[in-house]
Amino acid sequence: MVEQTNQLMNQAPASLEELESGSASFSALVQQLTLIVGEAGILFDADELLVYECDGYIVDKTAPDIVVFPTTTAQISTIVKLCNQFNVPFLARGAGTSLSGGCLPIGGGVMIVLTKMKNILEINLRDRYAVVEPGMVNLHLTNALKGTGYHYAPDPSSQGACTIGGNIATNSGGPHTLKYGVTTNHLLGLEAVLPDGSIIELGGPTAEVPGYDLHGLYVGNEGTFGICTKAIVRLTRDPESHRTMLAIFQTIAEATRAISEIIAAGIIPSALEMMDQGIIQAVEEAFHFGFPLDAGAVLLIEVDGLEIALDEEVRQILEICNSCNVRDIQRADTPEERLLIWKSRKQAFGAIGRLSPSYCTQDGVVPRTRLPEILEFIEETSNRYGLRIVNVFHAGDGNVHPILLFDERDKEQIQKVMEASEAILEKCLELGGSVTGEHGIGVEKINFMSRIFNQIDLATMETVRHIFNPRQICSRDKVLPNHQTDGSSKITQSHPTRRAPH
Amino acid sequence: MSSLHSGDLEEFVPTSQIELSRFITENAIATQKQIFPAGGRTSLSVCCPASLSGTQICTSQLNKVIDYPVRDMTITVEAGMRIDQLNEIISAEGQRLPIDVPQSNRATLGGVIATNTSGPKRFSYGTIRDYVIGISAIDGKGNLFKSGGRVVKNVAGYDLKKMLVGSLGTLAVISQVSLNLRPKPESMCMVWFAFDSYVNVEQALNAMITSGTRPTAVEYCNSKAARQIAAESRLDLPSEHNVICISYEGPSNVVKWQANHIIEEWNEFSPLSSQIIESDHATRLYNVFTEYQTSSDDPVTLKAVVLPSQMMKFVESATQLNIAIQAHAADGIVFGHLPDSASSLEDVKQILSQLKKSIDHKTGYLTVYQCESEWSELLPLFCSPPPGWSLMKQLKNALDPDQLLNSKRFTELVET
Repeated sequence: MVEQTNQLMNQAPASLEELESGSASFSALVQQLTLIVGEAGILFDADELLVYECDGYIVDKTAPDIVVFPTTTAQISTIVKLCNQFNVPFLARGAGTSLSGGCLPIGGGVMIVLTKMKNILEINLRDRYAVVEPGMVNLHLTNALKGTGYHYAPDPSSQGACTIGGNIATNSGGPHTLKYGVTTNHLLGLEAVLPDGSIIELGGPTAEVPGYDLHGLYVGNEGTFGICTKAIVRLTRDPESHRTMLAIFQTIAEATRAISEIIAAGIIPSALEMMDQGIIQAVEEAFHFGFPLDAGAVLLIEVDGLEIALDEEVRQILEICNSCNVRDIQRADTPEERLLIWKSRKQAFGAIGRLSPSYCTQDGVVPRTRLPEILEFIEETSNRYGLRIVNVFHAGDGNVHPILLFDERDKEQIQKVMEASEAILEKCLELGGSVTGEHGIGVEKINFMSRIFNQIDLATMETVRHIFNPRQICSRDKVLPNHQTDGSSKITQSHPTRRAPH
Repeated sequence: MSSLHSGDLEEFVPTSQIELSRFITENAIATQKQIFPAGGRTSLSVCCPASLSGTQICTSQLNKVIDYPVRDMTITVEAGMRIDQLNEIISAEGQRLPIDVPQSNRATLGGVIATNTSGPKRFSYGTIRDYVIGISAIDGKGNLFKSGGRVVKNVAGYDLKKMLVGSLGTLAVISQVSLNLRPKPESMCMVWFAFDSYVNVEQALNAMITSGTRPTAVEYCNSKAARQIAAESRLDLPSEHNVICISYEGPSNVVKWQANHIIEEWNEFSPLSSQIIESDHATRLYNVFTEYQTSSDDPVTLKAVVLPSQMMKFVESATQLNIAIQAHAADGIVFGHLPDSASSLEDVKQILSQLKKSIDHKTGYLTVYQCESEWSELLPLFCSPPPGWSLMKQLKNALDPDQLLNSKRFTELVET
């Protein structure tokens, strides 16, 4: 029986041991872990642990005491039980591409790296699902499905590296979420090792299971509900064809109006990516695609579906863009031309590297129609702080990724980046949005939680976490603020710097 | 289906979620009566125990639109809004919630979430879990909590929205919901195929995975159900055999092309007949498919969830027991209306036990979808514990520690 909500808010998590290298308990734990994963499956030398001191969020760093590489669910269960026995914290890590510190081993302890569990266990086209291990790289699943007529739909920009287990932890999105949804829409079931070492199954390969939607609840837990050891994912039919366009607008407002009208016309593009003037200039300087430097916004629009339907959709899109004062539209009529258009989008981050030694990619969401306001605010913020900020993002979802350019050797600029980021995220909230669309709360945005949610919301979330992870021994101090956190507290990270593009 | 219940039942009709929260808080502190959330009362016969003693929360006055930014294609409404009312509001803007809801003139949005109601379109559009972007609900202690927000993409905090899907009013009373909407399609048509053998049906369904068309729904019915569906739709349709009925949505030329194309594709499976149904007739037939799962006067309606590849095995067993079967075939969701001859509880239990044998217990589930009220306490809603049942019990205890929210039914969900 779990205690009532309000009591939980006043409970501190049980205190966990800090492992000291060379201590008797450290040696005993290493010895027992080695028995489970073998000598080739464990690291505990300080030098070797450095790689694991942070993920894609490199502001805060702390190394684990021990890293293990299990190959089976049973091994993970035994490892977790050992951690409980030794009272040391543990957490899972996939490819370490989290941009919010989801894999930061707060308090050290044991890091359970899942990259050796990367097999496809089953592909069942008749029943439209695949069963994979959590360390499976997202893109590898789609590559394995090539030629079957099916794919795994969630495609985060890091899909060449990130793992399905990590995608489940953060409920990853990607450029195609407008039409196809995010991870939670494609996860049918899972197996997990709970923080006490027990093994559970939630959901299953069938279209639904009776009762509460627990696998849905599990998605997006950011590693705090235990370790996902097997995922049953839905497979999606490949589209027969694509049409890709690049539409150049004088203003962001016109581009945003075009987006709303395309969707209102009943067309859900598979991708709707926007680049603002700042990034257009950067891309043009670097790669000479021929974009006019005075354009306010460029939209990459892609529709997919049956070949017979696409020409009419393209005709409507062109008509809408024209009614929104589009300056120019480039159409890709061949696969090569399509690749070229996508190249301009995908190389945007490469272009940024030429502009600035460091950059910080933020992740905020606003209702789609509020994009002009948030982008105007970002421009004002850029001027106010004397920081260059450029934008390339998933416009169809209202998911902005302002990229703040700075020099990390300049302490004053670092402070400005922190303040500007916070101001932008605050504005997203003010416009009815969210501080994260796909990167997660992790440790990075934990102080925002009490601005988005009231004490009862947070207490209910804590009640739920308590069921899965009562001692907070698994991925501690993530997602939910500590009870003592003052709602008005500020972001305290000291060192924002270059982050992986998304 | 009757929703009459016996017992000492009071009714409370909140006009705001704050008022509801206050009421549940006071109930938890003082009287500790059982609370039964009720929307359109379309599912009470199985979702509540037959003997209701306590307070029924009638959400009919929680029916306001809170926010409808039309161009963002999201809407926030109170959970007692009836589905027809919601559809009317969003349809005027060319939008829709692509979830099929039987008895939509009575069913409410909160009820659809609590019962995880879906219909034929789930094959292409998913279920209600895929459209709820924000939720507010009140737990057994009266705590009004929210999860998510009003934007379509948001990963801040745990996804408590999902936990309430299928919760049958046992975890919290859903009070307000934000939804992601979709544009209405230009047109829809259906193609009605008759097959004389299960083998041909299975081959056709198997071929669907690589069809050149993209159906929005793939419905199967056995001849008993086909006759009822054809009669109800008032269309002249061959219904003496197995039927697969496929729907397509989109621009009319694309819909027509697909309808003709699937007929060509399925020639090799020797259908006895195929017929394209368009415009108003298609809408009428589609609506019958949506309503059929609850439209029966038969004593018990079963729902089975199986892998699509194993569905026809279950269908054969059920048909032999004279059960009328409709299935969302591409998803393996089967509804079976038991015959009138199953007139006693013993008969029903006997049929359940026989049907359970044709389900793979690792990947299939049998549930009672509707039944005579007086039997509801004696039949478990879930014929076997679903995965995560122990966690479900813990969640129930955590959110409703005094066991006040429809708790008797929760304990009866699984046969012990």
